[in-house]
Amino acid sequence: MEPGDSTKQARAAAQLRKGVLEYCVLALMRDRPRYGVELLQALEDSGALATSQGTVYPLLSRLRRDDLVTTTWQESASGPPRRYYALTDSGRAALDEFTRVWPGFRDAVDTFLSTPPPSTGDHA
Amino acid sequence: MKTPADPVRDYLRAVEREASALPADRRQELVADLAEHVEVTRAERPDATPGEILAELGDPRTIAATALAEAGRAPGIPAEGGAGDPARRGKVHPLVPLLMLTLSLPFVMVFSESPGPLFGLLFRIAGVVLLCTSVHWTTVRKTTGVLLAGVVPTVVIASWNLSSGGPAGDTPALVGNLGMLALLTGTAVWLWRSRRA
Repeated sequence: MEPGDSTKQARAAAQLRKGVLEYCVLALMRDRPRYGVELLQALEDSGALATSQGTVYPLLSRLRRDDLVTTTWQESASGPPRRYYALTDSGRAALDEFTRVWPGFRDAVDTFLSTPPPSTGDHA
Repeated sequence: MKTPADPVRDYLRAVEREASALPADRRQELVADLAEHVEVTRAERPDATPGEILAELGDPRTIAATALAEAGRAPGIPAEGGAGDPARRGKVHPLVPLLMLTLSLPFVMVFSESPGPLFGLLFRIAGVVLLCTSVHWTTVRKTTGVLLAGVVPTVVIASWNLSSGGPAGDTPALVGNLGMLALLTGTAVWLWRSRRA
């Protein structure tokens, strides 16, 4: 494996993911509480946000400490009880704020990316 | 090795090891979260092998690094690396050296029989060492403290014992001791007030 294009692509994706992951996790809880494996499965299915699953748990831990989510244990028909994550009021407020600013970000980035670049700077 | 190989246990231990810079409660929480994840996934996908589940969780190093980065954002958690050594050294509460220096004298006054003075001297030496290695004072303050609360009492007591050596209950001895105690207390109070947080 050479440190070429694929690594650079991975870096760009990782940077983007770092910024938006927590809001996507909050968004997954908007309509109902979710348990950890469920959240990870949804991220996995999304493709772009799929990440080394274990790294989501430190994020969930911080969201809990920052009082953006609360957790409750619920029994399950199969296997051990699940720890469900639910939005708090401040978690919902953070999600609303992100939802408000995101279109502006997305459109601005799209504009930059679709504008023809200056004449210089073509590298192989 | 009596126990059979348990990849999950090994994996969790690896996370614990890699995350050793995390505060203990955070580290245990992380390991518990991951253990829980493995249990739930096993129940939901009985066909998945432990190896597959762990591979999806990812490299213990990556997880530990993420946890450290997340902890670094929270207030009250010291950033990793940096001034680790000097911070650990001298973390002793600033009262400890001050009390050791001050109380060595009344200790000797009460236990004036044979082992008492020796313990008093050891107390004073320990107090001086702790004062010098503490992060709570500047070098100037430390030097002054060592002179007033360590050197002066030792010299005075030694010369008193060498010269006259009157019985400890004597009035001059008592006055001398009380004067010395006032000096020690004064120095300790001054150091306490001028300490750095």
